[in-house]
Amino acid sequence: MIAVEHLAKRFGKRGEIRAVDDVSFVAPRGEITGLLGPNGAGKTTLLRMLATLIVPDAGHARIGGLDVVAERAEIRRRLGVLSDARGLYPRLTGRENIAYYAALHGLGGADRDKRIDALVDELGLGDVAGRRAQGYSQGEKMKVAIARALVHGPDTILLDEPTNGLDIMSVRALREQLRRLRAEGRTLLFSSHVMQEVAALCDRIVILGRGRIVATGTAAELIAQSGAATLEDAFVALLGSGEGLAA
Amino acid sequence: MRRALVVAAKELVETFRDRRAMMMTIATAALAGPIFLALIFNMIASQGERARTLALPVGGAERAPALVAFLEREGVRIVPLPADAEARIRAGELDVALVIEPDYAAQVAEGRPASVRLIYDRSRDRARASIDQAESLLRAYARQWGAQRLMLRGVVPDVGQPLEIVAVDLATPQQSGSLILFLVAYYGLFAAVMGGMPLALDATAGERERQSLEPLLATPATAGEIVAGKWLAVAAFAGIVVVVTLTGFYLTLSFAPLPPVGIPFLFGPREFGRFLVILLPMIALMPSLLLWLGSRGRTIKEAQTNLSLMLFIVSIVPVAQLFLQRREPDWLVAAPISGQYLLLNRALRGEAISPGDLALSCVVPAILTIVALWTIARRYSNESMLAGR
Repeated sequence: MIAVEHLAKRFGKRGEIRAVDDVSFVAPRGEITGLLGPNGAGKTTLLRMLATLIVPDAGHARIGGLDVVAERAEIRRRLGVLSDARGLYPRLTGRENIAYYAALHGLGGADRDKRIDALVDELGLGDVAGRRAQGYSQGEKMKVAIARALVHGPDTILLDEPTNGLDIMSVRALREQLRRLRAEGRTLLFSSHVMQEVAALCDRIVILGRGRIVATGTAAELIAQSGAATLEDAFVALLGSGEGLAA
Repeated sequence: MRRALVVAAKELVETFRDRRAMMMTIATAALAGPIFLALIFNMIASQGERARTLALPVGGAERAPALVAFLEREGVRIVPLPADAEARIRAGELDVALVIEPDYAAQVAEGRPASVRLIYDRSRDRARASIDQAESLLRAYARQWGAQRLMLRGVVPDVGQPLEIVAVDLATPQQSGSLILFLVAYYGLFAAVMGGMPLALDATAGERERQSLEPLLATPATAGEIVAGKWLAVAAFAGIVVVVTLTGFYLTLSFAPLPPVGIPFLFGPREFGRFLVILLPMIALMPSLLLWLGSRGRTIKEAQTNLSLMLFIVSIVPVAQLFLQRREPDWLVAAPISGQYLLLNRALRGEAISPGDLALSCVVPAILTIVALWTIARRYSNESMLAGR
């Protein structure tokens, strides 16, 4: 479970840019929580704070009961992160890219090989995993990046715009993978500016606009809350405008 | 520490996978030394060759048969003076020419100094040995002739020679090849700098450019472990390049059919080992500086710009030292680069290197290495590393 309370982060010389401003929400175990917001809403900053990469200015966040500031070493061991930046090492094969992260997580030997085999299988990477990452397509890169983030079997998984730049087939494969992880009882939080992505996958939606929470709830709750007819209308009504959102 | 080794192993695997860059680095390291050595040996040998069988064009040889006979006795081959002698000397085709003036015989008869003209272009290095030889033969002839005249007048020739100069050249045979000394030390030093460069840039600025740094920082590996791993990899690679470079020198100097130039040059297994020990602080320091500069760049290109100043300093210091006319001050041994260059030179001259000097030459590089690595680790745990692509 992820529990965020009054989290805040400012940037700029005098802290004049409020990237994340007093954000609170809960992402329960065994559910997929969608973080929806236009570009620049603060999604990446929020996820980076949860991934312990940047330190919040105010507020708290707990992942599986661990504090993201005080217990960051332990969180890093348990968390799977697909960040906004997801470059692979071009001269290593897909498999070696995954194995590098496994080794950094302290996995080794037959254990590691079995785990990588399973991931390569689940994600349908097949022979691609034995080729150098140099010539990978967007979809293949994404699959390896996801396998890399999941190699240590994390309880909680953060994904920053995972469908960016993927074709329909890859998006479908990704959704399937995320549903499988949910069925295993893991906590998933993923950000997107694509409305349909969030609607198709998420049990619970957190709408973020200009660093603040605009609304939270299930799709049905959001429609009811806004009084709109469709989910799309609900988003627009809640955000005040549909700018920066993709259908 | 285990994670640092994981990082180091991955960086090295990636480097060795880059075939073209690898081939270039290793080939340059292995061949640069031998090629330069061959050129220099060739130059020295041809200078010696020219001097040994000096072919001297003489104009008006019939006016001074005694002088010509003297020169021939000294092993000089007298050839006719070409009409365009001056132009050919200017063009570097001829080294030196001698012209005996028309009134030579008359001046001799009157007991006045007889004039001969020695024509040369001293700006040409290759001609210098021939010029010096011709000049000294003429002086020897003049001295011999003068002594004979004094004796004819009943004067002991010593009267005209109040000073006897006995030249004692303290250069051991090894020292005389100073240009080669410089080159071997310079290349050994440079290998430690250049060897790690591609890897250091790729592991820092390259990692940011490829967008693989952020996910790496989200793993349990700490910034310190990541930086230590990258440093280990770059230092190991720089070490390999140094060994390859020195091996190139060693093999060339021991086995290549170099022209015999009379320089029993000392670069055996013992010097090889001393070189490695002396260069060790550089093999530690340079990678950390390269990584420090690399980590300041968001892209490889940006990092390369940062690098050029460091490369300039590293390459200019030994050259400045070469032209330094005074004896090096004692503290110089503690200065990075200068200290190593100085000790390398001592090793090549076959001089003793005291453990104290060796230890002193490690102090500053060791401190700088630690400071640089610490600075990089701090930067890697800073949020600004994530900002900006």
